[in-house]
Amino acid sequence: MAETTTEPTTDEADEGGLRRSITGKQLFFYTLGDVLGSGIYVLIGLVAAAVGGAFWIAFAVGVSIAAITGTAYAELVTKYPQAAGAALYVNKAFGNRVLTFLITVCFLSASFAASGALADGFASYFATLWEGPPALLVTLLFILALSIINFIGITESVVVNMVMAFIEIAGLVIVLVIGVWYIAEGNAEFATLTDFRSSEGTHPAVAILAGVAQSFFAMTGFENTANVAEETIEPHRNFPRSLVGGMITAGVIYVLVSMAAALTVDTETLAGSDAALLEVVEKGILPISTDVMSTLFSIIAMIAITNTTLVAVVTQPRILYGMANEDVVPGVFATIHPSRRSPWVGLLFSGAVVAALLVVGHVVPKVEGETLIGRLSLVTVLFLLFIYALVIIACLKLRGHDEDENTFHANTPLLLVGLAGNVAIFAWSVYDDPTALWWCGGLLAVGVALFLVEYVFGSRSRPSGVERGEPTVESRREI
Amino acid sequence: MHVIIATDGSQQSLRAARHFKSFADPAKITDVSVVAVVRPLAAVAFADDLSPQEKRRADLEAGGFRKAAESATEAIASVFEGWGPKVHQRIRSGSPANEIIKAAAQLQAGLVVVASGGRGISETVLVGSTAQRVQHYAPCPVLVVRPPRRTRRKK
Repeated sequence: MAETTTEPTTDEADEGGLRRSITGKQLFFYTLGDVLGSGIYVLIGLVAAAVGGAFWIAFAVGVSIAAITGTAYAELVTKYPQAAGAALYVNKAFGNRVLTFLITVCFLSASFAASGALADGFASYFATLWEGPPALLVTLLFILALSIINFIGITESVVVNMVMAFIEIAGLVIVLVIGVWYIAEGNAEFATLTDFRSSEGTHPAVAILAGVAQSFFAMTGFENTANVAEETIEPHRNFPRSLVGGMITAGVIYVLVSMAAALTVDTETLAGSDAALLEVVEKGILPISTDVMSTLFSIIAMIAITNTTLVAVVTQPRILYGMANEDVVPGVFATIHPSRRSPWVGLLFSGAVVAALLVVGHVVPKVEGETLIGRLSLVTVLFLLFIYALVIIACLKLRGHDEDENTFHANTPLLLVGLAGNVAIFAWSVYDDPTALWWCGGLLAVGVALFLVEYVFGSRSRPSGVERGEPTVESRREI
Repeated sequence: MHVIIATDGSQQSLRAARHFKSFADPAKITDVSVVAVVRPLAAVAFADDLSPQEKRRADLEAGGFRKAAESATEAIASVFEGWGPKVHQRIRSGSPANEIIKAAAQLQAGLVVVASGGRGISETVLVGSTAQRVQHYAPCPVLVVRPPRRTRRKK
């Protein structure tokens, strides 16, 4: 009779230690793809409008602040590799349940707003290919399609993820080639690169701050890499490198592309365009048919936006699932489809919230005089800046806890600069456009409403004597 | 013979394990490997429906999805406790079907036991069912345990 053991054995012997599946390279492209897709395709026109020809500086400053925030994430991920992100770090640092709940709801709201903004960006490129359907319909179908894809689970291939990142880079390389071609022809006026359009008494520094606030949406997305932290091979080594490396690469691409765009298209045109980078392609600088180029470019842009939106659509039900397991939202969000293993209730709900945002967003701008994409991206940025600032503080506060020789250490002075940067952009954005706070409030209200539903109706599911969200005996021992 | 029992944390995978045990001869089986696959890019990387509610919550707080996968494999492994063959627990990461097939090849398994989640159109229409892909590409025989037929009166 063979002996019986139920000791867990890992697969280290079979696969040379490869029991986690995300390599450093994959993480790099995950970061890069997620960051690139969220912005440059969408927002360059707004930034150009805010700053003028020198808007590349805004991209450089913005991505630096984001990359510094990325180092704080990298440090925290190497300490707490669970796939929970900001809420976990803030909980570890402050141990305050209300604050943890607030951060989680902020993150969820940011993700909702980002999906809305990206869907709108998708629609504006879609309209360049086929003007038939109304933008609202395109955005709604887009969100529906991504939710179905997510339910089925075909987004889970890391290979697809890498291919999409490559396609995104290809799109930006097209813009770069056009820029270089234009310079080589001797048509470029480099003075544009130092031109601040808002010269009427506005200090360039203020113009740049405004531009950073407008462009910051393009820098976001990296926080979602915490999703795959748990499954990254050698996270101590790979996470800081791939995350920060991905962001620096994104930064370099952003700066070069903004320069190319500023040189080839005049600022007025960029500022007035919904799909600004398409203007660069449509200038007809390359000796290739403009039609072919702009069709190709629109498709690439749509793929890029899809990639980033998918990450957001995956993140939302995941957050709801985590919250349902902590009893802060109704337990129905922890429902997993028995065969697809997808959190379908959370998916459905998230899709509905984003759809509602889009519908409301199509009515309100006519009153407010602000584009939907500008509004939603600003709302995303406000939420994320708040989260980023708290993550940096959490990182500093958790110094000396849970460290070992492998822990990555972010540079402290840089973190302080990053914190100041996040706060400054936040303050400027609120000062510049206080109405965005109403939108933030509306999204937060969704989270609070879910909590209240759970609070009033959910007590039956909890064993007696256990407080809401209270850590159980086992988890307390871990801390 | 080395037998792989795949689990996605579902009740059905537990039923599959029990079903296999109900007829298999432990004297002819040397090893049982319980394999769970964490899906890093999925909305919920691993959902454990097998452990008690309290443990699930603790797992998510303390160790995340990987811990949930460990608890689920533990629950399945306990089915075979004292049965005879050596029981191993393995957690892998990636696409479930691929990883199960790879594990079968590496362990030179003689049989893979998988659960098939649903009946009817959700399984036929939607692409990428894990059980289907394992059936088609596994290097060894596959036992697919399907859920019991639903009765009319009860949903």
